[in-house]
Amino acid sequence: MSEKNTPATDPAPARPRTLIGDRRDHLLSRIEGETGANISACYQCERCTNACPVSFYMDVKPHQVIRHVQLGWRERLLGSATIWVCLSCEMCSTYCPNEVAVASVINHLRNMAFHSSIAPKERLLAVFHQTFLEELHRYGRVNELWLMNAFNRKPGVLREKIKSGALKHELLLGLALWRKGKLQLVPRRSKAIEEIKAVYRRQRGEVD
Amino acid sequence: MKLSFYPGCSLEGMARDYSRSVVAVFQHLGIELVEIDDWSCCGATAAHSLDEMMAVTLPARNLAMADKLGLDMVTSCANCFNRLRFSQQKLREKTYDVPWKISDELQVHDMTRFAAEPAMIKRIKQRMVRPLSGLKLVCYYGCQMVRPPKITGYADYENPQTLDRIADAVGAEVLDWSYKSTCCGASIGIGRKEIQDSLTLRLLAKARQTGAEAIVVSCPLCQANLDMIQRGGGRDVLPVFYFTELLTLAFGDDKNARHWFKLRFADPLPLLLARGVMK
Repeated sequence: MSEKNTPATDPAPARPRTLIGDRRDHLLSRIEGETGANISACYQCERCTNACPVSFYMDVKPHQVIRHVQLGWRERLLGSATIWVCLSCEMCSTYCPNEVAVASVINHLRNMAFHSSIAPKERLLAVFHQTFLEELHRYGRVNELWLMNAFNRKPGVLREKIKSGALKHELLLGLALWRKGKLQLVPRRSKAIEEIKAVYRRQRGEVD
Repeated sequence: MKLSFYPGCSLEGMARDYSRSVVAVFQHLGIELVEIDDWSCCGATAAHSLDEMMAVTLPARNLAMADKLGLDMVTSCANCFNRLRFSQQKLREKTYDVPWKISDELQVHDMTRFAAEPAMIKRIKQRMVRPLSGLKLVCYYGCQMVRPPKITGYADYENPQTLDRIADAVGAEVLDWSYKSTCCGASIGIGRKEIQDSLTLRLLAKARQTGAEAIVVSCPLCQANLDMIQRGGGRDVLPVFYFTELLTLAFGDDKNARHWFKLRFADPLPLLLARGVMK
């Protein structure tokens, strides 16, 4: 890196090497800075992937996520199914021998993907999260029935559900829940949400 | 003794029976629960998935309201507990700024750990009128209550013991198994049903292999998930109890329990009748 490291026998001074993260604009340093996870410490032992209950359904396995971040492969990560399939069950972070906060990294990537222009690979999961937040902002609390109703009215959701046969299953489940009297028809509200939203706007730097 | 209580959205919706059993149990134990004024949703799991700032701000107000009451906070939902603790930690680290005052002394307990304290176990044993002997149970904690240990404060996150201690105190036979804190996949059920099913069915299969006749949980999402998948299961079902229902049964409050059990797909009544716990 510096001239000190060049062997004395070398006549011409070597061109200074640029290490990953040296300029502090690499994906690695950005995510390390924002999450506080020591991603550089990963030595690819794959313990995270072995602990993960859903790694089977992931296209980029948890240990590969860490490697991808080290290599700066942003697009591949944000366009992966992994970031949406992850359950945030924190098995990976808990069992990492180097205390790499894998789940926080995946969660942060999900945050990044949501604010990016890259289309989510698991569209339904992404739309569901978004609908949840919209409902939450409307009522302050979340009601299962109204949430599902709002979710089904999102563009393309019903079509996709009919195609996969999920709609039939869901209607049967809904009926069973209705018969048991488990569904709450009228959503409960919390007035506090207006106050929280105002705080939130200020944090974002928006002027009321 | 008084505590502030954060129920969470599930306890107003599909887990209304849980909220009733919580209230009943704490009445029996002689502890007053003060519901936090105008509480709002904690945002799990959508808020932290899409926007961490929101995930800190949403629980922060609830924390502030609990702080205003000057009481320690207890919550019965594992997800809410996790999010509240997460928010508390981020605010302590000063990662985000909120206008509400939250003192450092505010304690957020999850209900199981509170009820498994030695003093509470003693109280439970004093109030017990009927031991649930003969019931073979496994305790299932789920992921959000114990992990990540840095946030939840569980030292025994690999083999948590709180529910085991409670079930043991009321005289049930608690079996050891390896899936105590394996995720049940409830958060992914809408969108990727097959993933949820594979995780939940494995849990049920392993519980059966262990020789359990019922599962004890404390998380409303785990309960809904494990219970709903067993609808149409006929006689060969594994009832899924909230730990508060076990306590209610031990306190001899059959009338209430019968009422709550009507909301179940995996009906626990046949098991309880066969073991002579209920008549």
